Amino acid sequence: MEALALIQAYTGVGIGLIIGLGAAGACIGIGIMCASFLEGAARQPEMIPQLQGKVFLLLGLIDASFIIGVGLAMMFAFANPLLSVVTAAN
Amino acid sequence: MTEEQKSASSLSTSIIDSNKIFNKMLQLQLIATLVVAVIAVIVSGAHAGVSAISGGLSVAIGAFFASKIAQRRSKEAATVLVNLLKAEAVKIVIIIVLLFIMFKVYKQLVPFALIAGLAASALFSGAAMSKLDKTELEI
Repeated sequence: MEALALIQAYTGVGIGLIIGLGAAGACIGIGIMCASFLEGAARQPEMIPQLQGKVFLLLGLIDASFIIGVGLAMMFAFANPLLSVVTAAN
Repeated sequence: MTEEQKSASSLSTSIIDSNKIFNKMLQLQLIATLVVAVIAVIVSGAHAGVSAISGGLSVAIGAFFASKIAQRRSKEAATVLVNLLKAEAVKIVIIIVLLFIMFKVYKQLVPFALIAGLAASALFSGAAMSKLDKTELEI
């Protein structure tokens, strides 16, 4: 019982770290890219339509790590493989 | 050709190109999802395949709705940026909601297959950059 509670507690901490650090990294990346986009658009406004597609694709790439992190966090929240090992042993 | 006509022509060309790019992105995501699903079926059965497809499709559906918002045109950089960030927010919300539903509803879910499908679909969206480079070369 104590082992289960410990696993749940540490899993909660882990989920928080996965989502928090993933979101922080993605936000820093998006911030840098958006700043570069605004700078480029200010220098050459006629390039905005061309840059729009690139920015969208790169947004998807930057967010991919965060989305994968969210998926992993959901797996640990709803179908924790560590917890099932302990319950199976008991 | 006047400056305005040139600008309008450039805008319409870029709209067609961005449609191509978004279509290519969705196509690549679906192909990646299918490949992962086939591997999952071979390795651990039909439920793993369904899980992989659901993981990949949740990203593809999110990307589809996001691309509709991202295609909105504007001459101001700030408006374009806000639209792109809105599109990304919508994409993330859709993905999280679909994943939550899958984890809650599908009892025989194979989590690792779902994550593999999701990861493949999310990462392969960036491969559409190659299409972007080709269209630019054609112009």
